[in-house]
Amino acid sequence: MSKYSLHEIIYGHHDLRVHVPISSCTLATGAQEVYRAIEDYIKRTGVSAEIHRVGCMGLCFLDPWIMIAGKNLPPAIYANVKPLDVEKILDRYLSEDLSGAYALRFRIDDKDYGIPLLDDKPEWKYQVRFVSRNCGIIDPESIDEYIRTGGYEGLRKALKMKPEEVIEVVRKSGLRGRGGAGFPTWLKWKITYEQKSDEKYVICNGDEGDPGAFMNRLLAESDPHRVVEGLIIAAYAVGATKGYIFVRAEKPLMADRLEKAVVEARKKGFLGEKILGTSFNFDIEVYRSAGAFVCGEETALIAAIEGRARPRQRPPYPAVSGLWGKPTLVNNVETLAHVATIFQVGVEEFTKYGTEKSKGTKMFCVTGAVKRTGVYEVPVGTTIKKLVYELAGGPIEGRKVKAVQVGGPSGGCIPFNLFDLELDYETLQAYGAIMGSGGLVVIDDSGCMVNVAKYFTDFTLAESCGKCLPCRVGMKIMNDILGRIVNGEGDVSDIEVLRDLGVSIIKTSLCGLGGSAPNPVLSTLRYFDNEYREHIENRKCPAKVCPKLVTYVIINEKCRGCGVCARQCPANAITGAAGKPHYIDSSKCVRCGACLISCPFGAIEKT
Amino acid sequence: MVKVKVNNVEIDVPPGSYIIDAIEKAGFKVPLLCYLQDLFNEATCRICIVKANGRIVPSCRFPVQEGMVITTSDDELSKMRKINFELVLATHNIICWNCYRKGSCLLVSLSKELGVEGIPVCSECSLYGDLCLVKQGIPCLGPLTIAGCEAECTKQNAPCIGCRGFVSSTSTWRNALRFYKENNIKKEDLEAITRIFWPILPSRFQNLIREVYMQ
Amino acid sequence: MSRVEISKIEYAIETDVLRLVETIISKHGCNRSKLIPILQDIQNELKYLPRKVLEVVSSKLGVPISDIISVASFYHQFRLEPVGEYVFQVCFGTACYLRGASNVYEALKLATSKVSITVEKARCFGCCSLAPVVMVISTRTGEKYIHGRLNTNDARKIALKYSATIRK
Repeated sequence: MSKYSLHEIIYGHHDLRVHVPISSCTLATGAQEVYRAIEDYIKRTGVSAEIHRVGCMGLCFLDPWIMIAGKNLPPAIYANVKPLDVEKILDRYLSEDLSGAYALRFRIDDKDYGIPLLDDKPEWKYQVRFVSRNCGIIDPESIDEYIRTGGYEGLRKALKMKPEEVIEVVRKSGLRGRGGAGFPTWLKWKITYEQKSDEKYVICNGDEGDPGAFMNRLLAESDPHRVVEGLIIAAYAVGATKGYIFVRAEKPLMADRLEKAVVEARKKGFLGEKILGTSFNFDIEVYRSAGAFVCGEETALIAAIEGRARPRQRPPYPAVSGLWGKPTLVNNVETLAHVATIFQVGVEEFTKYGTEKSKGTKMFCVTGAVKRTGVYEVPVGTTIKKLVYELAGGPIEGRKVKAVQVGGPSGGCIPFNLFDLELDYETLQAYGAIMGSGGLVVIDDSGCMVNVAKYFTDFTLAESCGKCLPCRVGMKIMNDILGRIVNGEGDVSDIEVLRDLGVSIIKTSLCGLGGSAPNPVLSTLRYFDNEYREHIENRKCPAKVCPKLVTYVIINEKCRGCGVCARQCPANAITGAAGKPHYIDSSKCVRCGACLISCPFGAIEKT
Repeated sequence: MVKVKVNNVEIDVPPGSYIIDAIEKAGFKVPLLCYLQDLFNEATCRICIVKANGRIVPSCRFPVQEGMVITTSDDELSKMRKINFELVLATHNIICWNCYRKGSCLLVSLSKELGVEGIPVCSECSLYGDLCLVKQGIPCLGPLTIAGCEAECTKQNAPCIGCRGFVSSTSTWRNALRFYKENNIKKEDLEAITRIFWPILPSRFQNLIREVYMQ
Repeated sequence: MSRVEISKIEYAIETDVLRLVETIISKHGCNRSKLIPILQDIQNELKYLPRKVLEVVSSKLGVPISDIISVASFYHQFRLEPVGEYVFQVCFGTACYLRGASNVYEALKLATSKVSITVEKARCFGCCSLAPVVMVISTRTGEKYIHGRLNTNDARKIALKYSATIRK
């Protein structure tokens, strides 16, 4: 986007333009209330102003943020805004006092307001905003703003080419599926293109189920037209007439925005019959899934649209025989957004970034024990250290990072000493994790790796569709064994059983869910063998997390006998006379930790 | 026709055939469980796995490709088949002593074929039509002993003393212990005879005995 | 089966519920592929999927009841049991779990055992920076409230706050 159009969108045609992000994550932190407070302010003061609804920048730690752009003033971003602060912030801003702002979007003159530029902040500086370029800048519900930033230009260019040429462009870009496995996108397109069939389908896979990954949601909520445009280009390339966008019902805003985008695109003639005066006909339906992790798997996703559940054995691959037995192309949200952007700005812009084998950028969600949680778009091949320490700001004060979990329940844990690894498909696979959708959960020394492994098997166990045996029963047994270990009832032989069973499940499962479900266990066994042994041999949880292996005790010297803990205890396990040290009956204690939080004197400790 | 190689035997099969067809045509066998040719072919049990061009795939539902090299057995395959079959047994209610199939079932034959030690001697015992000794109140180790000995003991009408070893399937243990209890085998007798497997009973087994006998 | 159980299953489906199901099915069309949207709409109206209603859907669509229950039990969104006045969804995403979602869950369970509140584990909401998160849904009005950065004490306070608003 050129500086000019960015300037234009940020300032609009009023004296004052306030940008408020309305997306799931900001709404959860109260953006709606902030929006109302700004409305009130404008009504009350009568200033010529406009509120601009935008998507989310991806800097979740700022939520809810607002950006104010006033005449002759630089646009300033304010973080963690509360409805009550709105008046003060706007008053000050209008009197040219920018103190309290988090950063300036850009400068308009040389005047120094003592506020850093967003571009100088590490969490922004190291990012390459390629597909997320519009996130947090344009109104996601306005097709005009998208078009003004160069939207649907890519489609125009693609429609002037032959389908083979479109596929050739994608081949040159070296784009690989951003949904996890990293299959070359052009190859998938080519196979679908080569099938002879009266009907073909394209599906956008927006069934983002990995806990800790929400880049697809963010992208589709903040810039839905980019996804729609990508899907239309894909449909043109493979010769499809009907497309689906598959979205989780749990993410209603994402579905609503995509639905609205489809309606608007249809009005403008980007969808429907004879698109842009060519003979190409295509339409899109937004499909709301009822929510199942396995639906991220192509064949299960197709089964869900057909009104069934469960994946099936591949081959035949969906590219050959998919929805209703017709050739079907399934691509991830981010992949399609990349396609649209590549056609808009050209292949060279894309291939500038990335590694030899995987080009371009990838959005990563960094959550867990870091200072700056959020979604960061960086070139493929950025090191974990850079992402976790420089962009996300490293661990919370006084803590040490122990590992990072990459790729959700199908991925693995990478220990701290391997943080120099580059984030790309092959490297991660070699070290027992996967790129997956790109969720990174940072685990610090307060996390127990065995417990984390148990958590992921709980997840996959609940999400297993139950069709094939290794995943259905094998995961149950792995879960049982881990349950025994975290309860301090493990046996040394269990480790070997977990390893053998895990490898067997990976190699013999029917679909990708089972084929990757043991990864969290295998990778923690590989790098945190000592923690397993500590649980099994010494019946101790080094991080003091596993409830059965932790006891809460009151330190007599510190206890003043105030009785706060006894009142908080849900199990009535704490007794003691007023003014005298209290005592916890560990046979009654349910290990909820309520007493530890409530004690004003820090007299309760975990051992 | 598609040319494939099964364990170094070259063979032609019609296009669209599954690997299992090629294997059978070449005269080899793979263990099958959930596969019922035209009735049920969903590749769910993963017992019939083979290696096609080095990759592990279910032979019942994987189409052949030109020049495919198929291996029907090696160490890795048999290990994984065994694991998967143990998973079947782990969810199966193994009560061979009370089962109407009288030992003539797919699970018993597969467990012998794959060398999985999860099925108790009772499966064979009932095959010969012998009267169950436990049901007569005699402490016999049949319900807890690995099958495969041709049940010599019972042929001589003597109780099984467990020389084949302890069954590995935990789901069998609980059923067996309940069966002993139902037939009034004393807890002490049971503890005495199971000592053949270990000098000191493992705590997990001991706890189970206590649990079942307390109910 | 005891007599009580028989009478439970054999109760006549109320006519207005039947009409509702019929309108929903005619809106989507009598097509197997529309099964999931049909069930979603029914659940939006009835808050859960009663067995009897599933049987009606089965006969209308000509899909075996086993298939319908297979779909209804497979997807998380569908509930086969009635719910309370409020539904507390405790996020069990990785970030929330690591920051003690299970303790919050237990605390909520304990605190709401005697009132008409359903506490359930939910999949990641994508609000990982607020971990641990609880979403409170009022089944009467459909309003949703999100509470973030909770500990067990906060959880108990929330449970008390909402229990107090439930009409006796």
